[in-house]
Amino acid sequence: MAEPGSLAGKGRDVNLRRWQGLSGALALLAALGWVLGRMGFFEPGRLTGGLVNFGRFAAELFPPDLSVLPVVLGALIETVEMAFAGTFLGFLLSFPLGVLGTRTLFPRPVVLAVRLVVAVTRTVPSLLWAVIMVIVVGLGPLAGTLALAVYTVGYLAKLYAEILEGVDPEVIEAVRGLGARRHHLVRYVLWPESANTVLSQLLFMLEYNIRSSTVLGLVGAGGIGFYMQVYISTLAYSRLATVLLAVLVVVVVMDVLSAWARRHYLLDT
Amino acid sequence: MGIRQVANTEAPALTAAVDVRDLWMAYRPDEWVLKGVNLRVPKGQLWVVMGPSGAGKTTLMKVLAGLLPFQRGTVEVMGFRLRGDLTPPSRRVVGYIPQQLGLVRGLTALENVLLGSLARHGGLGPTLGFFPRSEVTRAREYLEMLGLGDKAETRVFQLSGGERQRVAIARTLMQDPKLILADEFVSDLDLPRAARILETIRGLVRERGLTLVMNLHEIQLVQELADHVVVLKDGKIVYHGPAGTLEWSSFRALVEAEDGRTGVAGW
Ligand SMILES: Nc1ncnc2c1ncn2[C@@H]1O[C@H](COP(=O)(O)OP(=O)(O)OP(=O)(O)O)[C@@H](O)[C@H]1O
Ligand SMILES: [Mg+2]
Repeated sequence: MAEPGSLAGKGRDVNLRRWQGLSGALALLAALGWVLGRMGFFEPGRLTGGLVNFGRFAAELFPPDLSVLPVVLGALIETVEMAFAGTFLGFLLSFPLGVLGTRTLFPRPVVLAVRLVVAVTRTVPSLLWAVIMVIVVGLGPLAGTLALAVYTVGYLAKLYAEILEGVDPEVIEAVRGLGARRHHLVRYVLWPESANTVLSQLLFMLEYNIRSSTVLGLVGAGGIGFYMQVYISTLAYSRLATVLLAVLVVVVVMDVLSAWARRHYLLDT
Repeated sequence: MGIRQVANTEAPALTAAVDVRDLWMAYRPDEWVLKGVNLRVPKGQLWVVMGPSGAGKTTLMKVLAGLLPFQRGTVEVMGFRLRGDLTPPSRRVVGYIPQQLGLVRGLTALENVLLGSLARHGGLGPTLGFFPRSEVTRAREYLEMLGLGDKAETRVFQLSGGERQRVAIARTLMQDPKLILADEFVSDLDLPRAARILETIRGLVRERGLTLVMNLHEIQLVQELADHVVVLKDGKIVYHGPAGTLEWSSFRALVEAEDGRTGVAGW
């Protein structure tokens, strides 16, 4: 039996932690209120007026103007192509970079150099990469694809290096003891021990890139974003509605597909 | 250059399988784990290293396997002089089975065994997943021999502890080693099953004239299995002698650590 006194002490500890948690949450809420207030969130008329505007905008969206559907579909296909190509191109670079960034396999200077490059890549948002790529390779889907690829590298290469470093060093050592070279280790230890996580992150990135590729056209980097911008700036909201609906369909279909792929290919380990 | 070649081509019958002289090893500067180890294991014998936890047994195995650099002394394994780099020429003739076996869990038993042939095939084929047919046949034969014929296509994470042990043995045999270094690799099994595995490996070692050096702490097994026993304590060899004539009662004091724990089961 434990001493009653010590139990009471434990109870006090638990209560104390609850109070700390609660006051932390309240502090966060207060910070949110303060920030929103500075932006005019609580000004009378600002939001209600906004609601009216939104109502008007929403009314103008309907009915969607389906006459632009062929054009929109073409651009949509281009968007999906950009997302696929960008993601896979990024993946093809990310895995090797992840390998080079694995401390259990490569000397420190190599690892640090690779990680630095990847970190720098990651600090630039994808839309900004799109602007840069438009400057580099000109307007069009190639710019968007390259922007997505670079952005993908920033995330996946870092994740992959971490995943690969999590592989049991004793297994690496044992297989090295069999006379395996470094590329054998990558093929027969790092890859099989991490493939599930690696592919699951790739799927996640693909979903993410499908979403973000829809806005790259805003800066002329190809895809459906171009029409979004045109229809917004010419106030052709019923056409914009067609674009938004099409994007919604693609995003939902992609989510369903990747959920299916996860269930069927990635669950058996 | 010329001198090294002479050393390497020395008549095999005369060289020991393992010849260690005044070996010093530290993971961190000045924290010596091995403190002047001397060890000479003749070819064709079966030696067991015992000693309390933390004595440096695993470290010694890894140095012999060419997986750890060392600071001082000379280490010769099957006539090859180790220099502490990660690609020693002894790789092809020395098999190493770590304590946790070091199997790739996501690969099948057969694929794991095939990894044992990698040192012979540096080309592109194996990297892409294509091993020579003769190697695949041989790998299957080893699995068959160890009673795992029907488990060849099973992934390692689905195998039992004893089955994994046998996959590890098959993988080591696949290397065609002349010397096998095994680090307490049966310690996770119950005694009867550990005994069976060791029986198997001893049969193979005898039949092929191999040399086996292993860490082992079950005293009954040591008595049954070994030709020779070495005790490593605090980084030094404090005892060695034939297993048959061992005075087990006085032997105990040697294996005891300062805190009274022996690291030896079965007293
Ligand atoms: N990678 C490492 N880095 C730093 N120190 C290590 C490392 N591996 C082992 N050591 C230290 O070296 C000493 C010897 O360890 P070792 O694993 O060789 O002992 P052991 O005799 O195999 O013990 P056990 O019977 O518990 O397996 C220990 O003090 C351990 O803490
Ligand atoms: Mg050990």
